[in-house]
Amino acid sequence: MKLKSLLLTTFFAAGLTAAQAAEGELSIGTEGAYPPWSMADAAGNVTGFDADVGNLLCAKLELKCRFVVQAFDGLIPALKAKRFDVIISGMSITEDRRKEIDFSIGYAELANMFVAPKGSDLAGIEDFDSLIKALDGRKIGVQAGTTHAHYLEKNAPNADLKTYDTLDQMQIDLASGRVETAFSDVSALDDFLAKPEGKDFQLVDVKIASSSDPTLGEGIGVGIAKENTDLKTRVDKALCELVADGSIGKASETWFKTDISRPCQ
Amino acid sequence: MDLDFIRLAVPTLAKGLGLTALLTLASVAVGFNLGLALAVMRLSKNRLVSGFAKGYSTVFRGTPLLVQLFLFYYGLGQLAFVRDNPVLWWIVGDGVHCAVMALALNTAAYTSEILRGGLMSIPGGLVEAAQACGMSRLLCFRRITFPLAIRQALPAYGNELVLVVKGTSLASTITVLEITGHAKRLMSQTFAILEVFAIAGVLYLLINLVLITLVRLLEARLTRYLPR
Repeated sequence: MKLKSLLLTTFFAAGLTAAQAAEGELSIGTEGAYPPWSMADAAGNVTGFDADVGNLLCAKLELKCRFVVQAFDGLIPALKAKRFDVIISGMSITEDRRKEIDFSIGYAELANMFVAPKGSDLAGIEDFDSLIKALDGRKIGVQAGTTHAHYLEKNAPNADLKTYDTLDQMQIDLASGRVETAFSDVSALDDFLAKPEGKDFQLVDVKIASSSDPTLGEGIGVGIAKENTDLKTRVDKALCELVADGSIGKASETWFKTDISRPCQ
Repeated sequence: MDLDFIRLAVPTLAKGLGLTALLTLASVAVGFNLGLALAVMRLSKNRLVSGFAKGYSTVFRGTPLLVQLFLFYYGLGQLAFVRDNPVLWWIVGDGVHCAVMALALNTAAYTSEILRGGLMSIPGGLVEAAQACGMSRLLCFRRITFPLAIRQALPAYGNELVLVVKGTSLASTITVLEITGHAKRLMSQTFAILEVFAIAGVLYLLINLVLITLVRLLEARLTRYLPR
């Protein structure tokens, strides 16, 4: 018994660089406040698409999942500090983030849109150029550290950008009128529109595809520390199988009413 | 540490310097006057008046500034009558205005305690002598009690000023782009956390060094009768 645990310890110390990981466990950093991707309840249980992907991944890798809830803009620093093994938090793969951490293959992607009060001048805009022009000097809510924030910093430099730590805070300010519009992915905005506070709002009918600008990334991926190449190989293989057999597509249909899985190349 | 990065980051963070200074000055200007009023109320013989000042100080000193900020910004912002009232919405609807209000109300509570200590240290004989000279209560307060109380309270009040400067960093949680707000934004763009927050720390340190020096100079001037 003692010998076995000693052997196991040696194996893990040599084989896995994520030194703090308990044996047979995959610790997953997730935001926990980004429906329907990642929602944490008061007891710390995480549900949503990210949780489903995490659980599918753990089952495939034959590891036990442990979720760690952490604000979105602190996820990458925490991963680098080895607070958890991977990030599964609807995180888009971007060039800037790639400088800091590694990503698995992209397994999902969503369109990005603006939301505005019904009947406002913004709500009526139908083409991309007039939309970008209309953003000048306007108060726009975005979540801190997201691709959406970076996209607007680059493409609408004259906008009055208000950044929020969580999506809930952004939605409160949207409902109270402190910001005139907000930019996010369709899933997050649909979540807002379904709430009572969102009843006087609508989507601006201009879809901004993730592929249209490098700041919007290359789809959603699992974040993995750079030195953890062994884990990356295993996660990539598992994700590829999960996309191919339709499990990720099926999970996304539960949360988004549509298949957002991205074919594995 | 990367020198090129620091050359880029310092001007970015320095953009927040003005707003940090504005938040501090505005909230101290409001908070000092409010705190003085509360300190005088606290020493009133009317139990209702002194009870109010005591309750105010207990509530605002007993709850974290961050909680107060969230209550004012997100909490009050949800009430329909606040949103429909143009004056209230002018205060609560804007991150900067709301931060100034929260900081001012918070520092007023601490200021009232500091000034109360100063006012209580005035020997009764001085006040009686002033009254014997025929000074009205207001004149006595203006010429005798207040200047002496300030002199007593200044070292402790300098401490409170430093705390206000540091408290302004919490305004970044309600979308205000002061030094910490810019730092958080730059962090999420570059992930150079060590550099960004080290620079932010140095900027706060510089502000506080200036402030502490000013308070020391004022203190030296007010106590220039003392032998060195």
